[in-house]
Amino acid sequence: MIPIIWIILIILAAIVLIEFIYYFNKFVILGNRIDNSLAQIDVQLKRRADLVPNLISTVKGYVKHESAMINKVTEARKALLAAKDITSKVKAGNQLQTALKSIFALAEQYPNLKANENFLQLQQELAAIEDKVAYSRQFYNDSILDYNNSVQSFPGNLFAGIYGRKQKEFLKIPEESRILPKVKF
Amino acid sequence: MEKISFYEQISRNKRNSFILIAIIFLVLAALGYIIARLNQSYFFIIMIVSIIISISYVLIGYYNSDKIALASVNAKPAPKEYRQYYNSVEGLTLASGLPMPKLYIMENQQINAFATGRDPKNSVICVTTGALERLNKQELEGVLAHELSHISNYDIRFMTLTAILVGMIAIISEIFLRSLWFKGDRKGKGGALLLIIGIAFAIIAPIAVKLVQLAISRKREYAADASAVKFTRYPPGLINALKKIDGDKPIKASKITSSLFISDPLKKNLDNLMSTHPPIKMRIQALKAM
Repeated sequence: MIPIIWIILIILAAIVLIEFIYYFNKFVILGNRIDNSLAQIDVQLKRRADLVPNLISTVKGYVKHESAMINKVTEARKALLAAKDITSKVKAGNQLQTALKSIFALAEQYPNLKANENFLQLQQELAAIEDKVAYSRQFYNDSILDYNNSVQSFPGNLFAGIYGRKQKEFLKIPEESRILPKVKF
Repeated sequence: MEKISFYEQISRNKRNSFILIAIIFLVLAALGYIIARLNQSYFFIIMIVSIIISISYVLIGYYNSDKIALASVNAKPAPKEYRQYYNSVEGLTLASGLPMPKLYIMENQQINAFATGRDPKNSVICVTTGALERLNKQELEGVLAHELSHISNYDIRFMTLTAILVGMIAIISEIFLRSLWFKGDRKGKGGALLLIIGIAFAIIAPIAVKLVQLAISRKREYAADASAVKFTRYPPGLINALKKIDGDKPIKASKITSSLFISDPLKKNLDNLMSTHPPIKMRIQALKAM
């Protein structure tokens, strides 16, 4: 006969082991999700930068005396491509978007440009990318929230300490927000 | 708290799908057993054949239910020209971390949509052309986010399986019953056998349809509305879409697949207790409270 105390000890040890594995995997999964959503922001910003040369060559055909504005866009694109970490990338992405907006505002004065098929398509595509950047930032912050919740709440905080997992920072740069109309009920 | 219930929802949908498949298999096998008992001399052959049929029925149902559902509403893959449709879904997949579903359209003036498939990797969203033409961007995103929530919590697996596996039995039995009606004057052992199967089907068919309606709980719609807002962060989009849907006329859809849509395409307002969808007014109220 094995004494009952041994059985209890073995069960307890098994539970502790399972918890260790569970939390290890949980942190890995949530951490990977953050990395992945970060990569998604990057992909969208890259796509925005890739569309810019095409846009500029289209605009240049119609707009002659606005080279300052066009230079601003080119500069912003260069800054975005040169940016290293995510914070500066998102910041540069915001600046590029602002510069692009002034181009689109400018197009209001050039009916021929506004009617250009290629221009319209680029405008639509860039607007969609703006939404996608906002959505992927939202998911990035959601992922950080999930991760932080699991790192800070009990008993996750004990395991986080053992595995050396720390809280992560949210992206705090002002939202490049999706344009949402105000609605009254 | 909300997270836990979300994962519970997923595992409940998976478990229910498994139970459903098991029950369907057992019902079909039991039917085969009854037939085999009446034909003692071929007992084993009939039994083997019926088990093979039952297995293929549930397997084909599991892997093709989405295709059957899409075919039954005459949906076709959405051309890339629907840029807004593609862009909205791509944006929402980024917001939800889901893989990109396949996009379909069905020619119809009513505003409606449904999602189907067996898991997020094998999922489909289908909207009516009416929805694409008559909803603005925010409203369309609200509707698409609702469908994506059905995908993310595996509602699509259980809902489609229920609609197809149970629905097909109902359809087959209806066809069978009708054919029985026309050649009702057969005599002898074969006639008696057909009669018994006919009676069995006559009992099963309406029960099956009721099961579809009951199993697809109306709570799912509220839950999907709530997580749709979590994705878009913009309740007025879905609210306005629902308002537009509310003003629409009913369309022709089979009883079976109607449970898949964002709002009941048949619009049976009176049949409240048994209907598959909560009233739109209640859903709007719940959304406004968010």
